[in-house]
Amino acid sequence: MIGLGAALAYAGFVAMCLAMERHHEQVFRTRAIPPRRRRLLAALGWLLLAASALATVAASGWGLGLVLWAGVLTATAIPLSILLTYAPRVALVLAAAPLPAGLALLLSVS
Amino acid sequence: MKDGFRQSMAWLHRWAGLLVGWVLFAVFLTGTAAYLRPEISYWMRPELALSRPGPADAEVAVQAMQAMAPNSPSWFINLPDERDTTLRVFWREPGPRGRGFREAVLDPATGHPVEARETLGGEFFYRFHFQLHYVGVLWGRWIVSICAMFMLVAIVSGIITHRRIFADFFTFRPGKGQRSWLDGHNICAVLALPYHLMITYTGLVLFMLMVMPWGVDRAYPGGRAAFNAEAFGSAPPRARAGSAASLTPVLPLVQEAQRRWGGGRVGRVVVANPGDANATIQLVRADSERISYNPQSLTFDGPTGALLQDSGEGLPAAEVRGWMYGLHIGRFAGPLLRALFILSGLAGTAMVATGCVLWATKTRQQAARQGRVGFGTRLVEHLNVAAIAGLPLAMAAFFWANRLLPTGMPQRADWEVHVFFAAWVLCLLHPLFRRGRQAWVEQFAAGALAFALLPLLNALVTRRHLLTTLSEGDHVRAAFDLGLLGCALLLGALAWKVARHRPTPASIRVPAAIPRPGRSAEPAR
Repeated sequence: MIGLGAALAYAGFVAMCLAMERHHEQVFRTRAIPPRRRRLLAALGWLLLAASALATVAASGWGLGLVLWAGVLTATAIPLSILLTYAPRVALVLAAAPLPAGLALLLSVS
Repeated sequence: MKDGFRQSMAWLHRWAGLLVGWVLFAVFLTGTAAYLRPEISYWMRPELALSRPGPADAEVAVQAMQAMAPNSPSWFINLPDERDTTLRVFWREPGPRGRGFREAVLDPATGHPVEARETLGGEFFYRFHFQLHYVGVLWGRWIVSICAMFMLVAIVSGIITHRRIFADFFTFRPGKGQRSWLDGHNICAVLALPYHLMITYTGLVLFMLMVMPWGVDRAYPGGRAAFNAEAFGSAPPRARAGSAASLTPVLPLVQEAQRRWGGGRVGRVVVANPGDANATIQLVRADSERISYNPQSLTFDGPTGALLQDSGEGLPAAEVRGWMYGLHIGRFAGPLLRALFILSGLAGTAMVATGCVLWATKTRQQAARQGRVGFGTRLVEHLNVAAIAGLPLAMAAFFWANRLLPTGMPQRADWEVHVFFAAWVLCLLHPLFRRGRQAWVEQFAAGALAFALLPLLNALVTRRHLLTTLSEGDHVRAAFDLGLLGCALLLGALAWKVARHRPTPASIRVPAAIPRPGRSAEPAR
């Protein structure tokens, strides 16, 4: 569950990055983002971050869950900013992490 | 100073940060190491075998204390848990004023002092990070508290100064001199900001009664006991009766406590006036079970075992303090959360380090423009090397001393600490003879080498090395050796990076003033 929270937080940060010209350029080599897509990505980013908070809270309760969430945000944002500089494509691909993480969780529950 | 709010905050940030930066770096790094205090202590006592906490530990400890310190006015017994498998005991020395403390580390199986080399272990880093060393406990705490206040000022002024906090949220642009240092500083600071604010503020809260005692002193003129009783629900101390009485067995009390706490564990036993008819036995719940460090406790009458006081959660204000206390020391954290705390702590360490380096880089550029480099700039550069590259090397020296000093040596634990500081002093002298980047490279490389050889040394002088620990399932020691190799890799990478670096033209062309970054840095399309 916390793994899923981390994956969601990372994906959320990637979505936010793709809504910013500088990072969009790092990944796609162009600064131009259609305004609609930019708004969509930013909203998606916030949504994923909120979902990651829910995941950590569901795993450990409100007090501990929120402390964990703060830690998870730091632990995903720092690698992302380094990846964006040195391996932007890898940074993008890793944003798919919630899928395997969610799948693993489903399999372990059922 | 007269250029407006943000500029004056930038000035404040720069000087508040620089003045105490070197102390803060040491506090952050050793404080981060203190998250692993039991693991470090365990590694530094290779004689200890794996053991599991058992129900009889409290009884063994009390009997040992009765033999060791029968006349002491109070005993503090820390029971073993999964991470720390020794009994750590403190007691107040008997005497008219009785202020001095003695301590010992006992084997929970026998109650005798552990048959291991004399060492402070992880306790050293833990204590150093809030009270330093050699300067006296109170002085050290005051120095660290004042530095923490500067830190809080630096954090808040830094947030105000950083005008592109969201636009530059994920931005790191390497190879651009001062710009890259600023990016690195911002990333370490902003992305772990909740942690930095929390750890600095709560660190001050831990010492609130020392730093700001006036409110409590005013409201409770009779002394701290009344305040403690009211705020934390601890039982008021009982005066000695003067007549002797033996203590009741502790085991039934421990079982009673576990029953009342729904299976919760006893972490600490405090016995006041042992051997007296008015003795009390206080059982404190383990601090690894709740975030709040307002420990639940039960106080029993010493001779009869009758329950005197059951303190649950404190008053709201006390509970808030308990939460802050608990968050700071992080003992509630399981392995995953502890790893996250350590990562954030390292980010804080890097934040302070990059801040100090940034100051030096910037001042040197200004100096280069004026054609002369002042004493202040060179002093800062010198201290940066000694603090940032020197401290990891000194920590490695501490571990080397632990393995190499003869086990029977008098005051052996003190000498390990002396070696730590001797190594650090050498790092302070070394940049006098090596100019500029050379000093950085050599100290980082020496640190890398010292850490990389530690597992090897360990294999030469002890039985608990990687080949045996991995196969015996001694995961803590195995992981510790691997972690040492990780430190070596990190320091090696830093040495390599600094050695390879050539100042690019970009690092000279960077715009002058820090308060207006981003204006000219964006490449035009």
